[in-house]
Amino acid sequence: MSIVKDYMFRTLNSVSKDDLIEDVIKIMYKTELSVLPVVDPENKLLATIYSNNILKNIIPEQFGFLESHRIFYEINQSVENLAEIKGRKVSEYMSKNTDFVHEDDDMNKIADIMLHNKESLLFVVNEAGFLRGYISRADLLHYLLDQAKEL
Amino acid sequence: MITTVTLNPSIDREYFVDSNQVMKNQYIYTDEDVRVYPGGKGLIAAINLKNLGYTDVQNIGFVGGKQGLYFEKMVQNLDLTTNYINTDNEIRNNVKIIGKDPFTYTQYNDYTYSVDDYDVNQLIKRFKRGITSSKLIMIAGSIPEGVDFSIYKKLTNICHEMGKEVYLQASGEALNLALETEPRFVVPYFKHHKTILDKEIKTQSEFIEAGKRLQEHGARNVIIPFHCDRLLFAENGSVYKLTPEDYCIRNWLGASDAYNAGFFDYIERYGCDFLEANRQGAAAALSISESKSVFLESRKEITLNMSRIIIQELEV
Repeated sequence: MSIVKDYMFRTLNSVSKDDLIEDVIKIMYKTELSVLPVVDPENKLLATIYSNNILKNIIPEQFGFLESHRIFYEINQSVENLAEIKGRKVSEYMSKNTDFVHEDDDMNKIADIMLHNKESLLFVVNEAGFLRGYISRADLLHYLLDQAKEL
Repeated sequence: MITTVTLNPSIDREYFVDSNQVMKNQYIYTDEDVRVYPGGKGLIAAINLKNLGYTDVQNIGFVGGKQGLYFEKMVQNLDLTTNYINTDNEIRNNVKIIGKDPFTYTQYNDYTYSVDDYDVNQLIKRFKRGITSSKLIMIAGSIPEGVDFSIYKKLTNICHEMGKEVYLQASGEALNLALETEPRFVVPYFKHHKTILDKEIKTQSEFIEAGKRLQEHGARNVIIPFHCDRLLFAENGSVYKLTPEDYCIRNWLGASDAYNAGFFDYIERYGCDFLEANRQGAAAALSISESKSVFLESRKEITLNMSRIIIQELEV
């Protein structure tokens, strides 16, 4: 039986709920991730913060359906909105309904979870709930490819 | 979880050529003649500890730029947990050219990596929550440009506030300042400085005097490399000389990292017996120095060398 630990990315890259949105954006850009785990002072997983959630809060709702002459105005509006929220705390924008998996979970369980929700990656915790890393759809496909080789 | 800290890691690139000559273009066509691996004192010790069977080993530090992502991927392939602050500047590269016949070794050490205050503050925040599951933290190696020399002092203070002990391998001003925090184990190294506490040392008596001064300045236990031996300064004031018996050195690379890992492994398994932990560290270093490998492969090779390590108390 293959377990999550065999395929996961073992990283404690994370933010706390008191970090700022600006910090989150910098980390996302540098690590090429669009979602980050939010942890408590002991590194226990609390929530997640998505780039999409930040974007939704700065881009006007009707963006993308506007006539071309309005687009520059809306972009400026987005920049202004970001300037306003970049100093706010992660706790205001994080998502508490977070699916996570355990490092000793069966990889088949991951397949099931990923197929039935929109998560591109799932954060991994140990038995005590401490963050241990994440597992992505690419990792799942890597696992399935390994299985296919055995057929 | 075992935690090691590497603030100034590097991508180490080894190129093997038939004969290394200046002003000559060399062409390398075989994979075996190029080795690329992640480097840095705390990191190599972490790799060794992983090889000794510890499942949860993390390395905390900075990595930079796109090459930093590549570095992290290499560390991930070794099944270590990474806890890195990603910086804007690219991580450094060390280049080593090894001539096969005649044997030559030429190394270009890159110390251009720099880190800004923002990233240092991020590291301190991440360090605080990263060490909660560790008892003894290994902090080892140089510090990048832009990081204040007081960084090891700050990290050691955080460890002590959280009830953790520190194994510190450092040099120069970063070491001098950290001594004020009274770290449990101190290992000075001389790669960049031929001095300890700003005083040049050459003879055994000067090394012994330096060890005692380190203790006067705050270090509780001190381990000083002295040629192929180690001078050990225990907390109770006793001084010992550790010597490997009948050895044949084939390789220097990785020996001190293996020492750190062997020492650490002993403390994790049996608690703090300073002399026996050093005996195991030395046995680990011996197994690397008599092999071609940079990394420990198993605990068995250490056990075989334990009886070859002699520890003698010195009259001082």
